[in-house]
Amino acid sequence: MTDEKKPSGLTATQPGSAPGIDQAPTTTPPADAGPRPGGEAKMPRTAAPLVAAASPAAQQPKPGEILVRIDGIEVSVPPGTPIIEAAKAAGVDIPFYCYHQGLSIAANCRMCLVETNKAPPGKLVPSCQVPVAEGMEVRTDTPRVKEQQRAVQEFLLLHHPVDCSICDQAGECKLQDYYMEHDHQPSRLDMPKWMKNKRKDLSPSITLDQERCIMCTRCVRFMKEIAGEPSLGVFGRGTREVIDLFPGKRLESIYQGNIVDICPVGALTSRDYRFRARSYFLTATPSICTGCARGCNTFLDHFQGVPYRYRPRENMDVNQYWMCDIGRGTYHELYENRVVRARVGQGAVAPAEALRVAAEKLQGGSVALVVDPNLSLEDVLAVALVAKEGLQATEIFVAGRAVGEGDDKLLRPDRNANRRGVELVAQGFGLAVRDWNELGKTKAKRILLAGVHVPVDDEQFASWLGNAEAVVALAANETPVAKAAHVVLPLATHAEAEGTFVNFEGRAQRFLPAYPGRGDVRPGWWWATALGAELGLAWRYASAREVWLEQSKRLPPGSLDGFDWDATPKNRLRGVTPLPGGTVDGRPPGWRELIPLKIPTPAA
Amino acid sequence: MPEKHDNLETAPAENPLEAHLPTRTMSINMGPSHPASHGTVRFNIELDGETIVRVDPEIGFLHRGFEKSCENVTWTQCLPYTDRLNYVSALCNNFGFLTAVEKLAGIEIPERAKYIRTIGAELHRICDHLTCTGAMGMELGGFAPFLLAIEARELVWDRTTELTGARVTTSFGRIGGVERDLPEGWVEKVKATLRKVEEFRRDIDTLLTHNRLFIDRTRDTGVMSAEDAVDFGFTGPMLRASGVDYDVRKAHPYWVYDRVDFHVPVGTRGDNFDRYYVRMQEIEQSIRIILQCFEQMEPGPTIIDDWRFVLPPKPHVYSTIEGVIGHFKLIMEGIKIPKGEVYSYTESPNGELGWYLVSDGSGRPYKVHCRAPGIQLVSGLEHMVKGSLLPDLIPTFDAINMIGGEVEQ
Repeated sequence: MTDEKKPSGLTATQPGSAPGIDQAPTTTPPADAGPRPGGEAKMPRTAAPLVAAASPAAQQPKPGEILVRIDGIEVSVPPGTPIIEAAKAAGVDIPFYCYHQGLSIAANCRMCLVETNKAPPGKLVPSCQVPVAEGMEVRTDTPRVKEQQRAVQEFLLLHHPVDCSICDQAGECKLQDYYMEHDHQPSRLDMPKWMKNKRKDLSPSITLDQERCIMCTRCVRFMKEIAGEPSLGVFGRGTREVIDLFPGKRLESIYQGNIVDICPVGALTSRDYRFRARSYFLTATPSICTGCARGCNTFLDHFQGVPYRYRPRENMDVNQYWMCDIGRGTYHELYENRVVRARVGQGAVAPAEALRVAAEKLQGGSVALVVDPNLSLEDVLAVALVAKEGLQATEIFVAGRAVGEGDDKLLRPDRNANRRGVELVAQGFGLAVRDWNELGKTKAKRILLAGVHVPVDDEQFASWLGNAEAVVALAANETPVAKAAHVVLPLATHAEAEGTFVNFEGRAQRFLPAYPGRGDVRPGWWWATALGAELGLAWRYASAREVWLEQSKRLPPGSLDGFDWDATPKNRLRGVTPLPGGTVDGRPPGWRELIPLKIPTPAA
Repeated sequence: MPEKHDNLETAPAENPLEAHLPTRTMSINMGPSHPASHGTVRFNIELDGETIVRVDPEIGFLHRGFEKSCENVTWTQCLPYTDRLNYVSALCNNFGFLTAVEKLAGIEIPERAKYIRTIGAELHRICDHLTCTGAMGMELGGFAPFLLAIEARELVWDRTTELTGARVTTSFGRIGGVERDLPEGWVEKVKATLRKVEEFRRDIDTLLTHNRLFIDRTRDTGVMSAEDAVDFGFTGPMLRASGVDYDVRKAHPYWVYDRVDFHVPVGTRGDNFDRYYVRMQEIEQSIRIILQCFEQMEPGPTIIDDWRFVLPPKPHVYSTIEGVIGHFKLIMEGIKIPKGEVYSYTESPNGELGWYLVSDGSGRPYKVHCRAPGIQLVSGLEHMVKGSLLPDLIPTFDAINMIGGEVEQ
């Protein structure tokens, strides 16, 4: 296990790029990892007179910065900032394909060309590559620039296949956005389109459609600079130019999924997602990946209660713009093989009946509390409370997924999202944290399992559970462990509830509910509250927020300083194609019955 | 609790034997479904004997939240909602809304589209006036005029069906023009239809205009002075019957109204008879307008050629990526109307149909407000009938021609 705090291997080397590019202003929105810039409504900008539009707030440059004028708007930026970033700071969007903040500058798409007073007259410069200079004036709305954008767009679409209706990217595709914005003319091609390979397998998880590719080389740069496994290259010239694998190579990096995200068109597709959903129907909810202790910030894209994919959400302190394929795959267990009904033995019963039996079985002897560190902090707080006050537990056995191999980029050896949170709770409640291996030595014959991820073989552990007098499990998935439990209470995942995970460096991160759970699925704090009521405890909680407000006072002082529970992730996105005006209540049409989560109050 | 009637209480009786009996006013309820009123509305009426002391129209039985609904759909998808405002003259609403959107987007529609819109709007103006006058006759006891009016209206609706595919809910026209040209042989059919309509109009005229019973019920009832009509915000035939010569088509010409010759009939007394007669005259003028349009029209495109606003032609959509993208973006995200706000108004059969639209630059309206002509007319009802007999309410309400769909958006 490495002890570094920040992912170190993720900074792109930028040969030949502008100096100081790493200090790009933080005010800029994320590139492709977050919300699409092209999805926001853009207004036709009228050419404003240079003097009149100067904003009074930015008349003087900030210390150490320089003043540039973009479409008449003055903005103060650090020297070395590329024009495109300065323009974003000024509120001027310059279209681009190949530029990505996390990658080196290629300046090959020619979409971002602008006019400046520092270039020879009539010459356009790539705004992603050229740094700002003192006294620079940039125009992004002149007829030359507009004609350039139109011409680039026309060339890009010349041999593009007629694929929108079968393309995964439709709805989040820059070709579509920029076509409507900058071209909107009929095709002038009077010959057959050039054909290329439409199904090139780059790896078991990624398929390349060379016809759709616009040769921005983001994927080539990503594999070389971020994944550190150069395996993609550009082959051929002109119309016949294609992206392809180096001879004898395959994509092997666990970060290869990111090239699908950063592909501005539908050329790179994920096998996992391919043809399964239309991206413009998906709603993106800010979430946290539970694949390891890093806690990569993600968007969970879902539609009508079914999750379809994770996409990384920009957070420069945690995961930058990326996430690994191991985490990317964990969304499957959010909906596959779920426990949706409470049951006693093998028969489904009403939640109230299951709770009554659970309380009855757990009372009358010592109880071993086994906590899966993939439960949210609020769930663990409530479970610890009921275990300590209602069942007189004195120790917590920490279960969870088995330790794997980490790397120097994002992946942590600990494959659980909230181990640090469980430790904080144990400390706060005065419960001893026990290693998983000590569970075999416990004399307790009654076992309360909060979550069913176990670091050993499921079957083996399930047979061990057979010796216990009573096993009550809060289970999200129908694993052998859940099947071996005497009472099963269906547990909500982080897609169905709200809460907090504490990552390996002690950073608390909020996630939001994406869709309501099916059947009897309830969050862990809800089951804990209801079980507490059965056991005669006095406290009642109606939301995760209440649990946090009350019980977080017990956490060790200073452990989560600076964490504001109510400061939800800022870049919320309602749908990949957001509703611009918003609906009455902010929900997309057709979602009235699903959101917000309506959780019945626990029985009194 | 009925109030004591002030006038009778305080009237001094010189001879106690001849004094009025002390009376109380009576509250009665009329509607919402009343055989003598077309339109679903409930009146709370306070009567002193047969004299109306107070009348409170209670609207809202057809409220559908149309303006709010528009914010959840694309600009194009608002069109079917506008059909259901004044559903007897859907084309006027369709084209009025589209004209407002086009004003906001700065679109100039092709000449032929302007003619088609004028023709469609006038056809539906005829329908609306036929409905109003025919129903007015029926509710005052004459069933024949109604049957004649409805037969004429049905002929026009047949032509509407041929043009738009629907009798009533036309959803015709698109941002940037109209989506299809006039059908083959349609002009001749319309001309023949208008000849029949004119015959029916004359029959109704013969049956009602000089009819003693009809005149007695409508002449000098529901009188509204010109000043009061302006103060109440009246527009359309109701305003013109009061003697104010204001018609949006003349005052602020749109489409091709400045190129056709027509009169704006204006009343003198502001009573129900004038309102009826203004409408009868307007039918005649609408026919004139349509015939002139047929003479003036020239072949040409009916919709602008700009893929930012108009769906690409299907051959492009099926075989080129540019067409697919244009189609996809316009359907899934809607037509991007530039940021801004606009008020645009056209003359619909009942008066000025105004649209206040706000766009945030996206594919869906940020705000849609409809200034329907009917709401001002209904709010003037009490002023018109106060102090008159209960039976006068019927012709007055008929002349208002309240359509629940547009009054209760």
